[in-house]
Amino acid sequence: MKPFYKLTLASFKQFSRDRTAMFFAFAFPLIFMVIFGLIYSNTGSVNYNIGLVEVDNTSAAAMVIAQSLSKIPIFTISQGILDDKLNELKKGDLRTVIVIPADIETAMGSGQASSITVYYDPAQTSSAQILLPVLRQAVSEINRQLTQQPVLLQLSEESVQSKSLRDIDYLVPGILAMAIMFLCLFGGLTLVQWRERQVLKRFSATPTSRATLIASQVVYRLILSVLQAIIIVAVAQLLFKVQMVGNWLALFGVVCFGALTLVSLGYLAVSRVKTTEGATPIIQIVMFPMMFLSGIFFPVEIMPSFMHPIVAAMPLTYLGDTLRQVMANATPLYSISTDFAAMAAWLVVCMLLTIRLSRWE
Amino acid sequence: MAPAKPPLLRYIEGLRQADSGRVTVLGLDVTKATNKIKQRIGIQLQSPALLPLLKVVEILDTFAGLYHHSLPLNDLLELLALQESRKILVKNLSGGQQQRLSVAMALVNDPEIAFLDEPTTGLDPQARRGLWSVIENMRSKGKTIFLTTHYMEEAERLCDRVAIIDHGKIIALNTPHNLIKSYFEEKAIEFDMAPPPSNEALRQLSGVNNVVIDGSEVVIYSNSIPTTLSALLQFADRENFTA
Repeated sequence: MKPFYKLTLASFKQFSRDRTAMFFAFAFPLIFMVIFGLIYSNTGSVNYNIGLVEVDNTSAAAMVIAQSLSKIPIFTISQGILDDKLNELKKGDLRTVIVIPADIETAMGSGQASSITVYYDPAQTSSAQILLPVLRQAVSEINRQLTQQPVLLQLSEESVQSKSLRDIDYLVPGILAMAIMFLCLFGGLTLVQWRERQVLKRFSATPTSRATLIASQVVYRLILSVLQAIIIVAVAQLLFKVQMVGNWLALFGVVCFGALTLVSLGYLAVSRVKTTEGATPIIQIVMFPMMFLSGIFFPVEIMPSFMHPIVAAMPLTYLGDTLRQVMANATPLYSISTDFAAMAAWLVVCMLLTIRLSRWE
Repeated sequence: MAPAKPPLLRYIEGLRQADSGRVTVLGLDVTKATNKIKQRIGIQLQSPALLPLLKVVEILDTFAGLYHHSLPLNDLLELLALQESRKILVKNLSGGQQQRLSVAMALVNDPEIAFLDEPTTGLDPQARRGLWSVIENMRSKGKTIFLTTHYMEEAERLCDRVAIIDHGKIIALNTPHNLIKSYFEEKAIEFDMAPPPSNEALRQLSGVNNVVIDGSEVVIYSNSIPTTLSALLQFADRENFTA
């Protein structure tokens, strides 16, 4: 046991002096989290700039309509003349321009339908999808009030989840998964560096077995992954009030298991590589697609269907899914047992292939 | 720059498998008692900074932890004049310090046999002599040292027996003194001079057996260097050779 302990301790000492490694292990995921967290916390209080044109601004009816519209909380209304407002719309300063026609009072007075024109930019699909329905709803409510229809049917909204999941709650487990992936895949790089520096050769002259050497490296990375988990969850809690729903022991278990799988994937990727220059691109080729195709940043549902099998093949998908379920009680993509089985399968395959293909010296 | 290492050593050290035959070290078969042997031997491999972000004392401590028995670290650092460098990171060591560190790592388990692979290559004369005294010290303690070197003087000075290995075969194995006597009966004086003195004139000098002149390179083979040297200097004086 003493050799194992000494080797693991030596790895930690070296890590504490390696600024690049520490940056990528801890600072980098935190930066991601802070950036995304700030972006998402902004979308909570979204506000749309609307242009309002009252062609006849003396009309009382027009004023009433204008007032109803300005009460809608997500609208920030600026009034003006049509040409100016349309220019602003084209420039992108406004999301829509609403025009209340001059004849509205007379038309309504004589029982004729009148139209309020909405100018919008179809290229801005996301805002159009939100604004148009809101406007339709507002108009129909104004209609109801004007025609004095009674409210017969109402919508009562009940939230089912005990805790509502914000985007940031969904994202933090994904960031942890990504951080673990970075840390563990780069374990392969260390192995290649060792091969280059003849470290393995030197160790093979000692009574320490290769198994002990590798085991010490793996355990060292598992411990670092757990540290990452603690730091990421703590910072998320502090900055964005993200609560850890699940239990910490379960989290550590998942983290270690996922880390183990990713470390073996990293080792497999570099099993035939002799130089650091050769290893880095290979690890990056494995890492980057996995980062974007594992449901970490965008949920699988919004991806086109031909991508779904690719997502299902990635080990990171299952780690991310398990972490989300354990940490935030999110809607599962797969059951936890499926997630574990998938990761275990990857682990076994990678280990077997690595043993088969590895070159030590 | 370094000659291709004889694989013979790698088999003894257990780093490579033999196709045929048996290798025993300390009476133990290399293929059967590998770990037992490794506990009792030390190997210095010629390699650059192994674990660059560890301090000298830390890397020695780590390696010491791999063996049942190890020397006290302070003694080891003293032995190799590394006390002052103990807290320096391996990546910041000078060439000489690196070399001494790799020897220290070979001795960390106080081995009965140490394999040192060109331990003084690239060292300045002072560092080289320092290492020589370490090796002489070990020798006086009764330890066996396998030294690979391409410095003849080092082999001559430090070794009880010298093996000359060519293409994987031992072509000579004897004490340095006997080797020199049997293969190099004659000694020689070499110098450069342009234009060189005449071959006949040099052959006349006392003790000279043969003279070979190649361009400006002069080699005088002699039975007795002191005699010939003395005669040569007198000759130079007479002929008014300018330096």
